[in-house]
This record gives sequence, structure tokens and C-alpha cells, in this order.
Amino acid sequence: VVPVIVDMHMHIDDLPALGSVVSAATCIARMDEAEVDVAAVMTLCDLPGVNPGALELIEEACARYPGRLYGFIRLNPWYRQRSLELLEYAVKSSGFRGLKLHPVSSCAHPAGEDSIALIRKAGELGVATLFHCGDEPMTTPLSVAPAAAACPDSVIILGHMGGYFHVDEAIDVADKHPNVVLETSAMPYPAKIRQAVERIGAERVIFGSDGPVSSPVLERQKVVIAGLTAEDHKRVIGGNAAALLGVSR
Amino acid sequence: MTIDGLVYLGQSRFGYELSPEAAIVSLDRNKISAALTAPTHRPDHDFDLGNAYIARAAEESGGRLVPMARVDPWSGELALRQLTHAVGDLGARALFLHPDEEHFRINDSRLRPVARRAADLRIPIIVASGYQCWSEAAQITQFAPWCPEVPVILTNGGQYNISGLGQIDAGLALQIDNVYVQTSGVYRDDWIERVVSEFGPERLLFASSAPLMDFAYELKRVELAHVAEDAKSLMLGGNAIRLFALDATRNGQSITT
Repeated sequence: VVPVIVDMHMHIDDLPALGSVVSAATCIARMDEAEVDVAAVMTLCDLPGVNPGALELIEEACARYPGRLYGFIRLNPWYRQRSLELLEYAVKSSGFRGLKLHPVSSCAHPAGEDSIALIRKAGELGVATLFHCGDEPMTTPLSVAPAAAACPDSVIILGHMGGYFHVDEAIDVADKHPNVVLETSAMPYPAKIRQAVERIGAERVIFGSDGPVSSPVLERQKVVIAGLTAEDHKRVIGGNAAALLGVSR
Repeated sequence: MTIDGLVYLGQSRFGYELSPEAAIVSLDRNKISAALTAPTHRPDHDFDLGNAYIARAAEESGGRLVPMARVDPWSGELALRQLTHAVGDLGARALFLHPDEEHFRINDSRLRPVARRAADLRIPIIVASGYQCWSEAAQITQFAPWCPEVPVILTNGGQYNISGLGQIDAGLALQIDNVYVQTSGVYRDDWIERVVSEFGPERLLFASSAPLMDFAYELKRVELAHVAEDAKSLMLGGNAIRLFALDATRNGQSITT
């Protein structure tokens, strides 16, 4: 079955001490509610880090729900060599489909040498890098832009496409850098999805929910309200992400 | 009955605009009975004119648009007179404060007379919340006790972080009995669930914050929330009717019967 609705941004983790316990089963339940076929899943913490079993947790989730969940490995660039090894193992040996970087949790700037090394490696391995891209220092679109320029052969996804206050900048950055893709989760402006499609093309805008703590069934409505053409909607709601995950046929 | 807890009307110096006519069209399209409306910060900075504009729009709307007063606390005595005039003569039902657009800290002690005047007038205070430095939820914990007699209602769930990192502070603010939160821009469904379960559905109000945010999407945020239907009913309108003392027969009855 060709997946038609793909959620490019969901989370699983098991960190009771941090209050972050979200299971694969919860993700699947929310996906089913929203009629989402496939989701990219990642932890809420970085490796190496506070959950040493993060990679295995995602592996097990994807194995338990084959064809529904695909892993992104979330890494801390400060542990450069170890993170490069983990990335290579995850993609080559464990079927992970992407890299997640979160400069708030890692305190690693997107344009730092260690981040660049990981982004380039992801590109070499044929997988995308998903950034948390919001309003905090080191996460804004213009903070990520130098990394996009330095890694033209790597696909960089701006998760949340700039958050609450940096969405216009996210569209600017995507307009300037053809390797940048915008992901729609959490930011609250349906009209900005339409603006992004009109300016950079529907091929570089993808649906994500940041679920299950945010609601995929609600996040889908944002794309509906954006009022895209049927063809563009099909690309944004799943076609583009399916291609990036390598699950389209 | 669905009541929108915050709609901005007029032309803003910050580049956004919504006319009363366009607001009514959007209310109709989304089956929203009435909306609490605040003046934008006008290009001419005249808050008296803004409050008068809102009052006129409310009068012409037949009860669909409910006026709120907006003042700039930096204006001192003038702000107090404007607030008293808007409530006493123009029918304003609440005070709207926007610490980010007017550049004041919500917990600046110089704001205390404005809070006290609203309390004396027995009107709720809506605070544009979650703006770093100006209206963080933790800062609200100092502001809200200045006016315990009236509700202090925070926009955006009390926080403006795309990971929800301000939610814990918003939870601290909600421990104060007169603090309430609006749903505009609250992307984390689990936060809405938590407020309902931990603080009660009486503490949440639907608001679109249009035109900054989208009427239809913000309404969906409540309609699709994973909470009980009676909680949704309070969030969508029951709480607003209670807190703003709205008259169901005047504020939108015509499209809800």
C-alpha cells in the first residue's frame, strides 16, 4: 500500500524522571484517529544522553509497527565521533530514515563544526536532517541557514517552520536554499502553509504533527484549512515525506 | 453557544488589520455567536479613538461584538481615565493589556494602579501572555494577586514556546485562583487535557486571537481536543458567559437557536 498521509514528526520516549513517557502505541492510536498511514518517530532526548536505550527504543517501536513507524535518530553533536558512529549504524544497520537535531537540548549550534559533520554524514547516507526550528536561540531559521549553505547535498527539514514568530524567516531561508524543506507542526498559521507553497513550491512543504502530545487529527486540519489545490495537498500531506523516507512506490 | 474570547479590530501599527464587517463574516462562517473584541494599537497611538471604535462596532453588531477597553499603562493617569470612561460610558466589559505591543512588564509595580482600577470596576483583565520579558507566566504570578477580585485571563495558554517549555510556569500561574487561560495557539493537546484535569474546565476559554491567528483552526483546536464534551462546552462559551457576564439573548442568540 502506498502511504498517502505521512506525519514527519512524532515522538516516543521513556523518561519518567523527566516526565516524558510517550509510547509507540499512543503514537499509533493518534495516527489511526487522524488516518495517518506512516510516521517518522524520534526520541525526546539526545544520544549519547540521559536515555542510553534511546536507539533501541525506536528500533523496537519500528519493529513492532512495520510499515507504520520509521525512525529518526536524535543525536548530540558535541559527542561528534560517537554520534557519527551511531548515525551510520542506525541508518545502515537498523533502517533509520533520518537524523534529528535539537539545539535547545544539545546546546550545539546548527552551524557548528560538529553539527555540520553530522548533517553532511546524513546526506552521504541518503537521509534528511530534521531540526527543531522555533523561536529559541540557536533554533531560528537564520541560525540553521548557514548549515544549509554548508551542506548543499543534505536535505534539511525545518521542523515547526519557525515556530510562532519566525515563520516568515523560515520561508525566506527555504526560498534561498533549495535543500531546505518546511515542516508544518505546531506553528499555528494555516495561511503560512499556503504562502510557503506559493513561494517555494509544494514539493518542499511537508506535514508533521509533533505528536502524540500535540494532536495529529488537529494538525491535519491546518493543512486542510490552508486551502491548497488537490495536487499540492497530496504532496504536502504525505507525498513529499514518503519520498524522503523512501517509502513511496 | 460559542464565544470567541479575543478578536482584534481595526488597523494595527504592527501590520495586521480586521474590520468589524470582516469579523462578523468570519463569526458567521465558523458558527461563532459572539466575540470579545479589543482595539488594535492604532498607527496614531490614540487609545481613546481605539476604544470608541470598538464601542461603535459593538453597538452596530447587535451584540455579536463585545467591547473591551485597551489602555497604555505608560500613560499614567490618562490610562486610568480612559479605562473608567470605556467601562462607564462605552460599555467595555473587560480590560485588555498587551505588554509586548505597549512595551511594559506585566509585573512592573507601576502597573498596579491599572490593575486596581479594573478590580474596582469589577471587570476581567485579559493579558496578551507568553511574551518573553513582558508577560511570562511566571511574571503573571506577581501581577494576578494585585487584583484578586477579578479574573486575569492569559492568552495563548499563558506561554509562547513551540516546545511548550513555558507550560510549567503557566501551571504555576494557574495555581492562583483568579488566573484563567485561553486556547489560542496552544498546540499541545496534552496541555489542554492537563488544565482540564488538574485545574478544571472552568479555567479554559476558547479564543482565536484573530486576525493574528486563524478563526477556523483555533476553533478546531477546542472542538478536536481530547476532553469531555461538557468541558468543551464550558471552554467554547460557558466560561466566557460567566466571566464576562454576557447576556445569552443579546450576545449571539440569533444564530444559535
